[in-house]
Amino acid sequence: MKIFDPNLPEYKDIPKEKLKLVQMDQKLYDAKFETEPIGFFKDVMLRFSKNRASVIAFIIICVIIFFAVFGPSMNKYKFDEQFTEYVDMPPKIPLLAPLGIFDGSRIIENRRADLIGNEEYYPEGSVLNVLNEREINGVKMVDVEVDYYKYIGCEEVFWFGSDYLGRDLWTRLWRGARVSLIIALVSVACNVFIGVVYGSISGYYGGTVDIIMMRITEIINAFPRIVILTLFIMVAGTGMFSIIMALVIKGWVGTARTVRSQFFRYKNREYVLAARTLGVKDLSLIFRHILPNAIGPTITASMIAVPSAIFSESFLAYIGLGLQAPEPSIGVLLSQGQKVLLHFPTQVLFPGILISVLMIAFNLFADGLRDAFDPTLRGAS
Amino acid sequence: MGKYLIERILAMILTLFIIMSIAFLVVRLMPGSVYEAGGDVSDQIVAALNQKYHFDKPIIVQYGYYLKNIILHWDWGVSLTMVPNVAVFDVLKDKIPVTVQLNLLSLFIALPIGFAAGTAAAIKKNTIVDHAISFMVVVFISVPSFIFASLLQYFLAFKLDLFPIIYSPTASPGIKALSMVLPIAALAFGPIARVARHLRAELSEAMNSEFMLLATTKGLTYKQATIRHAMRNAMFPLVHIIVPMFTNIMGGSLVVESIFSVPGMGGLMINSINANDHMLTVAILLFYSMISLVTVLIVDILYGIIDPRVRIGGKK
Repeated sequence: MKIFDPNLPEYKDIPKEKLKLVQMDQKLYDAKFETEPIGFFKDVMLRFSKNRASVIAFIIICVIIFFAVFGPSMNKYKFDEQFTEYVDMPPKIPLLAPLGIFDGSRIIENRRADLIGNEEYYPEGSVLNVLNEREINGVKMVDVEVDYYKYIGCEEVFWFGSDYLGRDLWTRLWRGARVSLIIALVSVACNVFIGVVYGSISGYYGGTVDIIMMRITEIINAFPRIVILTLFIMVAGTGMFSIIMALVIKGWVGTARTVRSQFFRYKNREYVLAARTLGVKDLSLIFRHILPNAIGPTITASMIAVPSAIFSESFLAYIGLGLQAPEPSIGVLLSQGQKVLLHFPTQVLFPGILISVLMIAFNLFADGLRDAFDPTLRGAS
Repeated sequence: MGKYLIERILAMILTLFIIMSIAFLVVRLMPGSVYEAGGDVSDQIVAALNQKYHFDKPIIVQYGYYLKNIILHWDWGVSLTMVPNVAVFDVLKDKIPVTVQLNLLSLFIALPIGFAAGTAAAIKKNTIVDHAISFMVVVFISVPSFIFASLLQYFLAFKLDLFPIIYSPTASPGIKALSMVLPIAALAFGPIARVARHLRAELSEAMNSEFMLLATTKGLTYKQATIRHAMRNAMFPLVHIIVPMFTNIMGGSLVVESIFSVPGMGGLMINSINANDHMLTVAILLFYSMISLVTVLIVDILYGIIDPRVRIGGKK
């Protein structure tokens, strides 16, 4: 086969007019694509939006984030504002009150029956129900369900009740959610960043570099999670930053391994060889040509890491290494509520529901993302 | 195999040593000495106490004494604030069995339930049974064990009065056993879900494979083929998750134990950290490290024994 070149001697004599383009005057039968091209991320989006559970989970996460951002400013209380005379108030949500739930009522046990109707003991309208009439030692006793807010003459309205210092739990709950989410998201972002860089280098260069770098991760992995968390918090002191750092110390290893294995899979492919032949630099090869293949598994793994970071934060709060008062987090609220669980169960109920919903939503969301990024894994664990 | 085992155990001891050194340094370098001058103790007594426990020496020398005592006398130091003047090892001796019992029991209860649920989901794949089990799995995996603990404590123990609310050390053995039920149950939810999820995935993959087709062609009934061929193949990968799960439950059990006041390692660790009981903290951290290292070792060894396709330490 000969390739046309105007400098070759045998083409020199041919006049320009005799040359013409091959497809001139011929009808092209190829139709232009009328549909839009579907890229990688659009494909992922399409698959993800078909998964109803994950979409709902995503919406729930968005709602929780919305409340975490705007919730604390929805009423007039501050998260560290104390009403020492209104301690451990029951929740009172004006919207739900007509239905009989969260109407600020509380059952007070073992009251003398003859005092009911006495305005000195029970302010007007405070008695809702008289239950369980009985006689003990000749005295009639009853349990009284009262509107607790009227009973102690509280003018404030605490939507989710108040805690042992009389702080509004609605504000504290959403501020706590904000803090927990920040801890989780920032630590996961750090993990992904360190893991991607570390894993890329280790996977791309291989050989001795890889052996040494993987040994280091093995050593870090040998330290149990609980021990690392406790020791680090003991050294660095309690606080948001040190909790984040404690979660990062061990967290990045998983990402690094995922990224490394993706590099091992792709670095010897022909397209990488082609790019290298064309003179593409190492850095560009790593980040432009190979790393995008690791995006799917990395995003999925990091989404799974979010609930476990939230769990670790609550765990630290439970063992007394959580955030410093008065800053709330979901874990701090839970461990405080746990102390009064039997008397005021709603103090555990709300943070408990929030953390459960949040973790279920993140897990479902991560499942959906995994299926969307890699449909071959569908249904696998 | 023997050489590999020795290598692994040596590596494990080295890791434990590193963890112990770091833990010792961290705990000892924390601000706040155990014996402070002032208060109702005179300076001489403080000095004498500090000298007795070598707190007046440099930290490296302290560590030297610590190591020497462990190696020569199996003496892990003395608990100073939690249970004053009782050897750390004696304190742990009473607590470790409780925690290990609690964790092992919840694992053993979780396994059959998880197996049943996972098998049911895989056999009835894409039916209402499967969807129900999958939903349950997501809920159980996501909700932390201490939330389950609170729920169980409030509804079963407090409202319905079926179980004691907290563990009471003075109660009769029967009541004690009864009060262990709720913590065990609270810890079992997570493992149930994990086992069910993995078994469902592995089993449904095994059911679609060619050897199952061969087995049915050969004349085996559906039940025989599932139990003898699919189940057996689906079990192998489970080893990889069941043994490490033990370490996972240990973490959750820290909190659950303190919720139910079970006198195990969990409550001890929380209290010793808060009470600045240095030697006890180091020993407890070391205990948790050892559990997790041993489980990893067991997984590696078991994997080689159960599945001959995996060659441990094979040459490249």
